[in-house]
Amino acid sequence: MSKPVVEVFKLSVFAGDSCLVSSLSLALKRGEAVTILGETGSGKSLLAQAIMGALPKELTASGDVRLFGKLNPSRHEREQMWGQQVAMLPQEPWLSLDPLMKSQRQLSLVEELVKQLDAKRARQQAQGSLSAMGLADDGNKVPSQLSGGMAQRLAYLCATAGGADVLIADEPTKGLDDSRKQQVIGLLQQHKQHGALLTITHDIDVAQALGGEIIVMRQGQIVERGSAEDVLNTPRSDYAKALIAAHSQDHFPIALKQGNAPLLKVRSLSKQRGNKQLFHDLSFQMGEGEVLGVAGDSGAGKSTLVDIVLGLTECDQGQVERAPELGPGKMLKLYQDPPAAFPREISLGQSLEDLCQLHKLDRSQLPELLARLRLDEAILARRPSAVSGGELQRFAMLRALLMKPKLLVADEPTSRLDPIVAHQTLELLIEQTRKIGCALILVSHNRRVMNQLCHQIVDLSPLEDTQRVPVDFSSACLIK
Amino acid sequence: MMGLNTSQRWGFALLFGLIALAGAEALFWQGDIALQQLDAAFEGPSLAEPFGRDHFGRSNFARLASALRTSLLMAICSVALSSVLGVALGMAAGWKRGAVDRTLSFVVNVLLALPGLILVLLFGALIPGSFAMLYLAISLVLWVDYFRLIRARTISLIRSPEVEASRLYGFGVWYIFKRHLWPNFRKDVYTLSCFGAGNAVLALASIGFVYVGLKPPHAELGLMMVELFPYYSDAPWVLLQPLCAVICLVLSFHMIAGTVDE
Amino acid sequence: MLIKILGRRLAQAVFVAWAVGTLTFFLMNLLPGDFAYRIAAGRYGYDYVNQAAADAVRAELGLDRSVWLQYLDWFRDLLRFNLGDSLVSGNPVSQELAHQLGHSLQLALFASLLSLLIAVPLGLYAGRQVGSALDRASLFISVLLRAQPVFVIGLVLVLIFALQFQLLPVAGFGGSRYLILPALSLALSMAALSSRMIRNATHQVLGSSYYQFARFKGLSEQQAFTHHAQPNIALPVVAFIGIQAVSLIEGIVMIESLFSWPGIGHALAHAIFGRDVPMIQGAALVMGLLFVLINLLVDLCCYWLDPRQREEGLQ
Repeated sequence: MSKPVVEVFKLSVFAGDSCLVSSLSLALKRGEAVTILGETGSGKSLLAQAIMGALPKELTASGDVRLFGKLNPSRHEREQMWGQQVAMLPQEPWLSLDPLMKSQRQLSLVEELVKQLDAKRARQQAQGSLSAMGLADDGNKVPSQLSGGMAQRLAYLCATAGGADVLIADEPTKGLDDSRKQQVIGLLQQHKQHGALLTITHDIDVAQALGGEIIVMRQGQIVERGSAEDVLNTPRSDYAKALIAAHSQDHFPIALKQGNAPLLKVRSLSKQRGNKQLFHDLSFQMGEGEVLGVAGDSGAGKSTLVDIVLGLTECDQGQVERAPELGPGKMLKLYQDPPAAFPREISLGQSLEDLCQLHKLDRSQLPELLARLRLDEAILARRPSAVSGGELQRFAMLRALLMKPKLLVADEPTSRLDPIVAHQTLELLIEQTRKIGCALILVSHNRRVMNQLCHQIVDLSPLEDTQRVPVDFSSACLIK
Repeated sequence: MMGLNTSQRWGFALLFGLIALAGAEALFWQGDIALQQLDAAFEGPSLAEPFGRDHFGRSNFARLASALRTSLLMAICSVALSSVLGVALGMAAGWKRGAVDRTLSFVVNVLLALPGLILVLLFGALIPGSFAMLYLAISLVLWVDYFRLIRARTISLIRSPEVEASRLYGFGVWYIFKRHLWPNFRKDVYTLSCFGAGNAVLALASIGFVYVGLKPPHAELGLMMVELFPYYSDAPWVLLQPLCAVICLVLSFHMIAGTVDE
Repeated sequence: MLIKILGRRLAQAVFVAWAVGTLTFFLMNLLPGDFAYRIAAGRYGYDYVNQAAADAVRAELGLDRSVWLQYLDWFRDLLRFNLGDSLVSGNPVSQELAHQLGHSLQLALFASLLSLLIAVPLGLYAGRQVGSALDRASLFISVLLRAQPVFVIGLVLVLIFALQFQLLPVAGFGGSRYLILPALSLALSMAALSSRMIRNATHQVLGSSYYQFARFKGLSEQQAFTHHAQPNIALPVVAFIGIQAVSLIEGIVMIESLFSWPGIGHALAHAIFGRDVPMIQGAALVMGLLFVLINLLVDLCCYWLDPRQREEGLQ
């Protein structure tokens, strides 16, 4: 076989004295894929920057990198390779595209300046590539007019237009929902056919689809490595086992009771935002102890729907009937970003104290609740910013449970958490709400979890934007 | 409030120095700003007159200290009025929206249509030489900054998860102000107030300089400069006094803001 | 979108006229003594004026009518740009303003160009080399300059260049030598702020994901800067020029007064001092409209630079 195009020997990255990535080695050949798997903050992204030669100034690296046979190329030599031999697919496509430049120009500029085509040829080439990606009509749009999926495809085109063999993809599916994720995976698989692919991800689906070698990392250390099949099917380390278990999520208790008197009736609800019809003629009802899922892309109107249910936003048409039990303080919400949901300048204990004073709550149930949610009492003395995301989300649950709510809305409660923590948090949420017989609305873009947990699912996905059907009308449908 | 950085420490030192100077004069020297002694014009510094005398033989120290007190008073009063007004109305507009917001935003747009200093000049023309009128005019210009910032912040905060959560839990207006809005505004209001105080001093000196502000024999920094300018070659050290006073005063306000940019 | 911009600035122009008109109307009614007598004096000269002439003026201008009717009249004249005669010189205000406007524009234009000439290279350099000696020095000078009113900068320049070294004239109007010091003072005071603004915009763009991505796409540093950084730096900088229009107009009043530059700012300060109400109204109005005009030009520039705005308009 051919020689490896990228080789890394014992690469370590340091911030001062602390080691962020320790002694990582890998080799990548044409037609192969290597995937680094691990949770956020495990130092994965630094590897990509170290290979590209674009580490932030305050970090230092040791070890060797060989690119296309060249040992430890200088910064200048690496810059020569950018785009033409090594390409990088960025994390946030929207932020990585020039906000003021039209899509076609962003792409044709690469053809013109990197491949040195004349302006006319470059334009034709760019238009051709756009068409091949289903972006034929979007050449005149600026990034803010593109959807997340379109921006991701454009970023892919721009990154690879220089003709690079090696593609480094840094968290390419971050923040994308299932259908978009599949598109990106498709792009990466396609690239693997003719080039080499190094992917950095926290998403097991991606790792599974790409195959090749998997390196599982945690806090900068390699925990386990091997072929994709071996690692995913028979993980040896505890960490990899937990990661894979959290992903498959087949431990959820499904036996939920159903069929109580309805708490909430929603009738033919419609809402428009700007020119976009978010949902139209949407009806459902739910009773005590039920779980309702709300699915859809970001921007599809999931949060708007639950805000209407909670009475925080007005709807255009239709009505929401709430049972009398749903009085003030009985409909509560858990938020996507836990620190954003607390007063930031006071301790968590003070927040609870304020709440107990307002509603004359019994403080004696607190120790038991803390134990149930696996929280340490010391957390009460800290401010929200000094507590980890998982703990804070559990604390948010505690705050909600204290009120004995009848309806709890969880708006992407685990999407900012690492997979293992996310899984535990969701498990707790289901268990605790069931205990007090509270209805739960779960907003998520993870369909697999919802299929397992929810009695019914409201899907707000617009028709796929590649299908070129007028996007202004969304099909809101009830399944199950 | 928070740990002070180096620039803030120097700023406070400078400000307290100027206040001490202005206060010491009032307590111990108690000079007369209008008493002329023409034979002692441009007399050099002495223990009795640490800053010498001006072209009419008036005490520079008394005049400088009085001008500093005037500027400080103007800065403090106009910042107090404009910040209270701006924060209260900004919150009202951002929270209530609707007619309240439209009315207030209309007023602000009218005020913003003219450069601030032109507005102050026109108001100053209404009642010449009146401190109260200038105070009103400067406050009228300054409160707009608070209003716009606080209104925008309130609009986004009211929609933020933290406020939404508190409302769902049944907390009232006062709690939301105390725990969510004010902690978020506090730093900005402080910064705006520091720059506002600096701008008030600059505005007062500017209109004094074009003879539209306070009238002689009143001692005012801008007015002193324009009075002393013709004597630059006889006594440049006298002209430098109000010049340095303005720069030090404004610089101290800018430095205690702690950030370089407004 | 374009219509929205024009509409907004037109509304601003109306606000300017209303605010200036109302304030000067108050001013006129607050003036001590008989206003008709003053106008008559303005027309015929103080030596020839008598009560009969004043009464004739009063009848002619309707000054014996109710305040509200006079207020409406005041605006009718204002909208027709009929600004009356100066109480001091007796000449029509519009004629005097037309003369002064040219001088003020000359100063404003030259000062703005000079400030960009200082601020753009300095800001770009400091933004590329954040933390360098030049960056820190420019910050220090900027803070120092911003702590003084623009006329203090002017005074210091006069002391140094005109009085100490006698290189340039102290004040007045004549050849281009007279323009240098006033324009430089204004330019320095504006550049103190805008150079930092340009520096921050540059620093932000060069640290952005899209700039880094442009490099990863294979563009050289120069190419990435030209195509992806420049337009993104230019947009906030141009928008900032609109904000600086306030400093420019305020600075013109100060600097023209300091250097006896025969422009509108000088006229305004003089008119207020002399309580020449028609002149105050005219000068403040033109200053205000100039401000609106600068803002309009900036809006149009931003519109042209920013495809997002144009596309919004199409949808």
